[in-house]
Amino acid sequence: MAPSGEWADVTRAVHFSAGHRLSSPHLSEAENQRVYGQCYRWHGHNYLVEVTVSGLIDPETGMATDLEALGETLQAGLLDLVDHQDLDEVLPKTITTGEGLALVFWRLLSTRLPPGSLRRVAVEETPKNRFEYAGEMAP
Amino acid sequence: MAELVYVTKRFTFSAAHRYWRRAWGVEENRRRFGPLAEVHGHTYALEVTVRGPVDEATGMVIDLVEMKTLVETEVLARLDHRYLNEDPAFSTELPTTENVARLIWRLLSPKLGEDRLWRVRLAEEPTFWVDYHGPIR
Repeated sequence: MAPSGEWADVTRAVHFSAGHRLSSPHLSEAENQRVYGQCYRWHGHNYLVEVTVSGLIDPETGMATDLEALGETLQAGLLDLVDHQDLDEVLPKTITTGEGLALVFWRLLSTRLPPGSLRRVAVEETPKNRFEYAGEMAP
Repeated sequence: MAELVYVTKRFTFSAAHRYWRRAWGVEENRRRFGPLAEVHGHTYALEVTVRGPVDEATGMVIDLVEMKTLVETEVLARLDHRYLNEDPAFSTELPTTENVARLIWRLLSPKLGEDRLWRVRLAEEPTFWVDYHGPIR
């Protein structure tokens, strides 16, 4: 049994499929076309999301987080909103780049998780592109 | 509101190498490096990670197409389907995973910027990889 007072980071990965296009309200149609190229057209991805939370390892259960509760949070707080949806419609104020999704998923989940426990949100659009936010701000 | 986001792109390239110090001679190289002293090859898996604030107008840290083109021209054109021991960077240094990662960092950091390039992760095979964060960190 682990001694009390030890922390661990626990990661849960989920998949969802959704449609989107990259377009910015700050840019003209021609600029959107130029900046985002083929991503300006409607398309979709099988997204992978990894959510990492940190917690004290409970000496009785050996768990740093309630995995079932985390799964329910991901379902209600994220998947119910985005799976098989048009991301630009369900996240109206977001430019749905990988960066934008990592930030908005962080905000959606952090309010539902124990304060301060969210460590990292990673989003993969394809196995070649990964985006991570760990709560850091530029100095 | 300038959140720092990490953006990673993954690539693969295939290259041959051997661990062989000319000064050491055959016996010594074979003794020190064993099977690694023979010419062999890998399908390397490369991850390049950039860290930066998200541009408010575009929602991006970096243009992924630009990043892809840069890695293709600076790194893959030089290392893919090559014998690494023949690269000028390895005239004295051994083409270990560590040193290849350092070379990739040196090729990319002037283009991406020292403050933006965060990590080069290079895997020789799925069970072994090296992370390099630059000479300062």
